[in-house]
Order: sequence, then C-alpha cells, then structure tokens
Amino acid sequence: MFPGTANTGLAQNTSYKVVLPFYLYAGISFLVATLLLIFSTPAFLQHYFHPHTLAITHVMALGWGTMMILGASHQLVPVLIEGKLYSNVLAYLSFVFAAVGIPLLVTGFYKFDFGWAAQSGAILVNAAILFYLINIGVSMAKSKHENVHAVFVFTATLWLIITTIVGLFLIYNFTYNILSKDSLSYLPLHAHLGIIGWFLLLVIGVGSRLIPLFLISKYNNNKLLWWIFALINFALISFIILFLYIKITVLYFAPLLAIAAAIIMFAYYSYRAFYERIRRKVDYQVKISLLSVFMMLLPLFFLLIIILWLLISTSNYSVILTYGFCIFFGWITAIIFGMTFKTLPFIVWNKVYHDKAGLGKTPNPKDLFSDKIFVGMGIFYLTGFVLFAIGILVSNLIILKIASMLLLVTAILYNGNVWKAITHKPKKL
Amino acid sequence: MNEITNDEAKLELALGALKFVDDPEIGLNVVDLGLIYQIDFDENNKKLFCSHSLTTQFCPMGETINSGITNALEQTFPDYEVETKITFQPPWNSSKISEEGREFLNM
Repeated sequence: MFPGTANTGLAQNTSYKVVLPFYLYAGISFLVATLLLIFSTPAFLQHYFHPHTLAITHVMALGWGTMMILGASHQLVPVLIEGKLYSNVLAYLSFVFAAVGIPLLVTGFYKFDFGWAAQSGAILVNAAILFYLINIGVSMAKSKHENVHAVFVFTATLWLIITTIVGLFLIYNFTYNILSKDSLSYLPLHAHLGIIGWFLLLVIGVGSRLIPLFLISKYNNNKLLWWIFALINFALISFIILFLYIKITVLYFAPLLAIAAAIIMFAYYSYRAFYERIRRKVDYQVKISLLSVFMMLLPLFFLLIIILWLLISTSNYSVILTYGFCIFFGWITAIIFGMTFKTLPFIVWNKVYHDKAGLGKTPNPKDLFSDKIFVGMGIFYLTGFVLFAIGILVSNLIILKIASMLLLVTAILYNGNVWKAITHKPKKL
Repeated sequence: MNEITNDEAKLELALGALKFVDDPEIGLNVVDLGLIYQIDFDENNKKLFCSHSLTTQFCPMGETINSGITNALEQTFPDYEVETKITFQPPWNSSKISEEGREFLNM
C-alpha cells in the first residue's frame, strides 16, 4: 500500500470557455477606446466632464480593465483559494450582462443621452457584477483555504459593486434628480471608489501573488499585505466621510498619505520578490508588470498637485485629465499588458496540451505569442502614453493626435498577439 | 507485505521519462527542478507510485504537471498502474534544483 494518494493543494482550473470571452472583449474594448481617442482628441483640451471623455473612461474602466480582471480572476481565484470556481453559469451570465450593458452605457455617455439605453446599460452592468460577487463569494465560502490575497479580491469586488451602484444612481440622477446635487458633484466619489476600491485593491491582492509566482520567488510577507489592505480601506472610508460630510480640502491629505504608503509598501514587496527571485532572467511581460507598479506613483503625484491646487485655487482640468489618463492608460493598461501575456498563453496551453503533457516535447506557453510583437507594442505604448500625457498638459492637439495614433497601433498589436495565442494549433509531438 | 523495489535501472528509466515533463512556466523539467520526491515500484501489485511537489502551493499548472508525470510514467511502464501524489512536505525550495537546472536558470 502506498502512503496517502490524495493530492493536496491542487487548484482546479476554470474552463477556458469561461475565461477567453472576457479576454477577447477586453482587447476589443481597448481598440475601441484608442479609436475613440483619435476622434475625440479635442475633448482632452476641455473640462473632464465631457461626453467623449466620459465615454472613453468607461470603455477603459469597464470594457478594458474590469472585463480583463473579471476574466483573469475567474481563472485565478481558484488558484488563490485552492479550490474551484462555484459556477460557470454565473460566469457566463456575468460576461453576457456586462458585454451588453457596457456598450449601451458608453453610447449614452458619448451622446450625453441618459435615457433608456444608458439606464438599462447601468442596470445590466450592476447585474453582471452581482453575479460575479456571488460566484466569487460562494467559491471562497466553499473553500477552506482563505488567505490574504482572496480577502483582497473579495473586498475589491464589494467596492466594485458599491461603485457601480453609485454609478447607477448618478445615471438616474441625470433624468430624475434623485440625489441632492447634480451628478458631476459626485463624480470624484464614484471615480475613487472604482479606482482605489476596485482596481488598486484587486491589482495589489492578485499582483502580490502573481509577481512572486512568475519570478519563482519565495518572498512572502502577509503582515505587510495586511497593512496595505488596512491602509487602502482606511483611505477609502476616510475619503467617503470627508467627501460627503466634512468638506475641508486640507484633510484630503490623510487618505492621500495612506494610499501613498500602501503603494510604496507594495512597491517594496515587489522589489523584495524581484530581489529574492530564483529565475534570474526576467521576461518582458513581468518587466512591464513591474513597471506598472512604479506607474502607480505617477497618478499619485498628479493627485498631490490637484489637492495643492485646490488649496490655492479652483481645480485644474488638464491636471485632472492627466491624472485620469495616467490611471487608465498608464498603470492599469501596463499591468494588463504584462499579465495578459503571462496568463492567456497558460490558459490556451492548458487547453491544447493538457492531455499531451509528458508524452513528448511540447512548446512552452511563451511560444504561443510573438515576443517581437510584444516588444514593438511596448515601445509604441510607452511613446504614445508619454506623448498623450504631455499633450494634455500643454493642451496641444497635434501631439494628442500623434499620440492617439501610436496608442491605436499599440491596441492593434496587442489584439493581434492575443489572437495569435488564442488560435494556436497543437504541434505534433 | 508488498515488495517495494527501487532498482537502479527502473528508477533511471522513470527519471529519464520524467525529464520530458516540463514546468511550463519555467521551461525546465520536473527532475532537474527537484520536484520529484519519491518513486516506488510495487512488484506484487504492479503499481508505480510517484510523489512530487510544485514550486508553489498556488501553482496554476499543478494539475497539468501532475497529469504530465502520470502520462510519462504510464507510457514508459505500461504494465504498471501509476499513482501520483502532490505533496508539500517538505516544501520545495531552490536547493533541490540540480546543477543542470541551475545552469539553465542562470543561478
């Protein structure tokens, strides 16, 4: 008799059929966002509450960032909790509701028409997030292996649904005046619930697991992660209280400092994981993911300027626009670029070669996409990103046009490489 | 009592077969990574037991590596029933990587 045959600690992979639609949808959304950038460059010389800016922001936040994260987390949460996803049906429902809701909502913003299309779009997006929340919550409840990373993901999802519910209220407020003030007044609240509560919390929760994993690093520091978790939530809750009840600008430094501390701690965590890595050669995907960690500091810098500006004058629109641009086209886009080509090839590889593993030499997941296209994409992206940010700050339409074209090329290269990976055919062993 | 053997020739054959099983993320085989902890042959019942680890408990490719090991051993020893077990006792660490593996990883 052999000693204990049951496998321990084995995460059960979610079917690729659940995950791939999210990846494809996100890629197309990024392409749409860059196309909209080209047609809407004059909007970046005006107030941030512009229909086209709102439309692009929501394509980026929901279609690109959120859809990519939803897709990846359906795959990653079972890994984090060492269990399995509760329901594929809920995942499909989440995809379908969001996939229909996002274009309806975005069209509403673009036309600045908050009638039935925008309203039903917002309802569908909320339903999609609710399905996702239930799916993740039940998956975690059924698993006995909760950990700090899973708590980050679940809390981030709670903040996401709060964000989308506030968004729903703001949409209805345009037509029915259900809130005490106009929707523009609540925009900073809605935006920061999403940016900090959803994106930052989730990226740190998942990144703190994936960065050491991909670097083959044994570094782990749960205590530090719990501190980061506490600081981010403190920042958000204090920001909400300050925003709704105590309107003293100087006090906004408290949440800002808490977020800055959390980001610096995460940068330190990433650095230690990098320093203690076993694999010396770091691939481009991990490099751009690590770069995104430092790109978190850029919006923080602009946020500091915004608060300082508010103390001496009124808000400066171009700095606020640059701040938003650095978040969605900078930090979030960079992390998605890196993580797409670390996770997607694995998902496809698993689909194609799972049964063939051990029966002969198979290609590695990194062989499923083109490294050259990835590097080219990175160069176009960084040039386009820097130029566009400069274009907003100096209010120059020509720079904005050139930069938006570079970002469009970036999106085409990204989608081309995603397509190459997804359509990979098995090699004969 | 079952007769558990570990004769050199069979062990070499098993390890040779497992050298075709890579950790897909690292691109290095499971033998040089030091993931194989134990291989036993039960000659009475024609069973082959292999216990192995993963580089991390959260390895998303754990299932695939496990089935790769099973496939490779089943193909090499068709007369044996193969049983595999993933263990983290003791947890894997970089000291288990072979000289060839260290060279591959530029360690």
